[in-house]
Amino acid sequence: MTARQFLIVVALVQGVLLGALIVLIILNRWFRLRRSARLNPRRQAIDASMRRWAAGATPLAGVLVGLARLPVPLAIDALVSWSARVPGERWRQLAVALEQHWWARIVRSNSGSARWWKRLECARFLSVAAMPRDAPRLVRLINDSHPAVHVAAVASLERIENSSLTLAALERLPRLPPTVQAYYAAMLRRSRPVVIQHLQKRLRRNDDPALARIAEFAGRLGEPALRERLTTLADHPDPEVRVQSARALGGFPHRESVAALTRLVADSAWATRAQAARSLGMIADVTTLPLVRAALRDPVWWVRLRAALALIRFAAAGRKALLDAEVGADADARAMATLILGLPAQALAEFGT
Amino acid sequence: MSGFTAVVGTTDIAILLYFLILNSFYALLLILSIPEIWEQTRLAEDEDFQRLMQSDALPPITILVPAYNESATIEASVTAILTLEYRNYEVVVVNDGSRDDTMEQLRHAFDLYEIPRVYPETIATKPLRALYRSRSRSRLLVLDKENGGKADSLNAAINASRFPLVIAVDADTLIEPDALLRLTRPFLLGRDIAAVGGTVRVANSCTVKDGRVTDARVSSRPLPGIQVIEYLRAFLFGRLGWNRLGGNLIVSGAFGLFRKEYVAAIGGYHTSSIVEDLDLVVRLHRYLRHHKIRYEMPFIPDPVAWTEVPESMKILARQRERWHRGLIAAMWEYKSMLFNPRYGRIGFLAMPFYTFGEMLAPVVEVLGYVVTVLGLAFGIVNVSFALLFILVAWGYGMLLSIWAVVLEEVSFRRYRRFGDLFRLLLFAALENFGYRQCTVWWRLKAFGSVWRRKHVWGDMVRKGFATPS
Repeated sequence: MTARQFLIVVALVQGVLLGALIVLIILNRWFRLRRSARLNPRRQAIDASMRRWAAGATPLAGVLVGLARLPVPLAIDALVSWSARVPGERWRQLAVALEQHWWARIVRSNSGSARWWKRLECARFLSVAAMPRDAPRLVRLINDSHPAVHVAAVASLERIENSSLTLAALERLPRLPPTVQAYYAAMLRRSRPVVIQHLQKRLRRNDDPALARIAEFAGRLGEPALRERLTTLADHPDPEVRVQSARALGGFPHRESVAALTRLVADSAWATRAQAARSLGMIADVTTLPLVRAALRDPVWWVRLRAALALIRFAAAGRKALLDAEVGADADARAMATLILGLPAQALAEFGT
Repeated sequence: MSGFTAVVGTTDIAILLYFLILNSFYALLLILSIPEIWEQTRLAEDEDFQRLMQSDALPPITILVPAYNESATIEASVTAILTLEYRNYEVVVVNDGSRDDTMEQLRHAFDLYEIPRVYPETIATKPLRALYRSRSRSRLLVLDKENGGKADSLNAAINASRFPLVIAVDADTLIEPDALLRLTRPFLLGRDIAAVGGTVRVANSCTVKDGRVTDARVSSRPLPGIQVIEYLRAFLFGRLGWNRLGGNLIVSGAFGLFRKEYVAAIGGYHTSSIVEDLDLVVRLHRYLRHHKIRYEMPFIPDPVAWTEVPESMKILARQRERWHRGLIAAMWEYKSMLFNPRYGRIGFLAMPFYTFGEMLAPVVEVLGYVVTVLGLAFGIVNVSFALLFILVAWGYGMLLSIWAVVLEEVSFRRYRRFGDLFRLLLFAALENFGYRQCTVWWRLKAFGSVWRRKHVWGDMVRKGFATPS
């Protein structure tokens, strides 16, 4: 084949492809228009029947028929969007009824599909319509490798209480990036008794590499039953664990918390000292005022900032300490006190003081 | 004569080979963009955003807004940014020593009060004059500083930011209300994300109400219309294709979310760079690879920001020349990454593509035209063969553009009217007749500018950042 012939072939192929693409664009538009014309009335119908059923005006059968008439992804969308608007007991009736429906059975069977989008569909469906017997499926989905799938599956914890599910999510939590951890933590709050029981055990494992993350989560819960374990972690060799302990203890105004924070505010790691100063401010025990005042002279800027903000929480005594520091001998403390005293209430509020 | 014939012949073959390799690579990007857009569309559609918005999982974000002589639009743009659908964010507006009354407008519109500085200067910037908070908008922080350019303003805003993720937004860019929410999706999906880029679309001819694009249109004027195609091509198939190759080298400066700790670690934006976003991303890749940190820099197509593109040839020429000058400068500065195994796919794929496929493309294209003309003049190249070659080259360009329209149509379909669709197809066809040659010429001129201004590079950049609204 000569170069000219090759170019002619390429030009012809290009021409055909160009034509095909234009036809594809036009067909796609036409198909979408037809599809939306067909589906929009069905969507409106399901919304109307859901509304009537939620108000107790019509039986459940109408909703089930409407859902079956929609393509599966749209039916799941409708379920997800209505799940937050229908009272719990009524919604459970729908979940029970859906167990027998052919399309719901197909969706359930997709929990082990090789295609992630099928598993995602299943996870989304189960997040709003799971029954107790779906627990093994959900455990599998929570352990799924695709992030979208396990994030969708963990939302089921909002609706069903099952210890195996809770434990699966708790096991996964420390290995997740911070953002997803926070999402998991929000979901796990609903299963408080199981979570606390598990955390009490996990917080005893001093050599657990995920201890810092577990402690962080435990601190967020603010559960008094965990205070003792979190106090013990103040002496942990890992500075990250001590930071989390210091953070958590601020939420427990207790004699032992104050004692632990008193040690932590003199810690070798500056992040721990900063966090301890902040937590001492949250507790605002006047006996710790000299410690926070001393932290205002810390060599690290962030510790001084946290200490100065903590002093604000000690009300008049703290303010006096700042005013003294503003004219005191230590240049660093003087500068920080000047900065914080110069902040208006709105700016202080921004710092969460 | 035979020597001349041999030179023309060899150059011809070299150019043909160059375009064959380059176009094959484009074809690869095109193929890779298919599964990528399919996956992204599915994720975008399947997410229950309401649920995520109600959770406390969303990472807090600082929006950095550099402003220079933006008096006319600053109030509307900042108000639009302050009403985004996102739970936890702050806005840091930097008045970069504007000569107009931008600062006064801000002070008046948001009831600002002065506060002392309570953060350390992590990245060195031009001196700050004052810091302000707003009585009416607690999310807003305004920095007033001496003029130092856009990069310097962004660095000052990074210093003042409190949150771990930062996004730089031009004051004249319109962000869709749910765009921030969508942009954080990769973070919610739990990957090791260093930066995320969203789509930038052309706002010319669109209906804008209260700082929001309410009706997306394709301009009927050729210059902005063709740029719609260019943007679709760059974002929908170029960057999506690069997602699969793991080497996105550009996260748009007008709309990109970065992890602050990495940006601070590399010293923020370079004030001497011409195209600060490209420079930042290349340095981020270098830093992360150097320190063996696992990371991804994906592009996701559904978060959208709208920007106005030049409508006059003069401004467009200046913009394209500057972009290409920035590309040349960045490729030259980071040439040690080229084919360096230490940088993995960035060193072996992205850098060579941007150096040889993007930076040198105008040189090779012009060389191709010259050789063809010479060949025709001296009877070395056959007329019909040359015309056939040009037809194939242009046809391929058109194919890529129409492919971008296909991706838009099967995924997001922002342009709902048939008239807009027709214009998209028309401009995809017209782009190769005149417009493309102009851009080649502007990009070629960038080499001349680099050559001429080699010794005064720093001076020129320090004063020349301004992007008036």
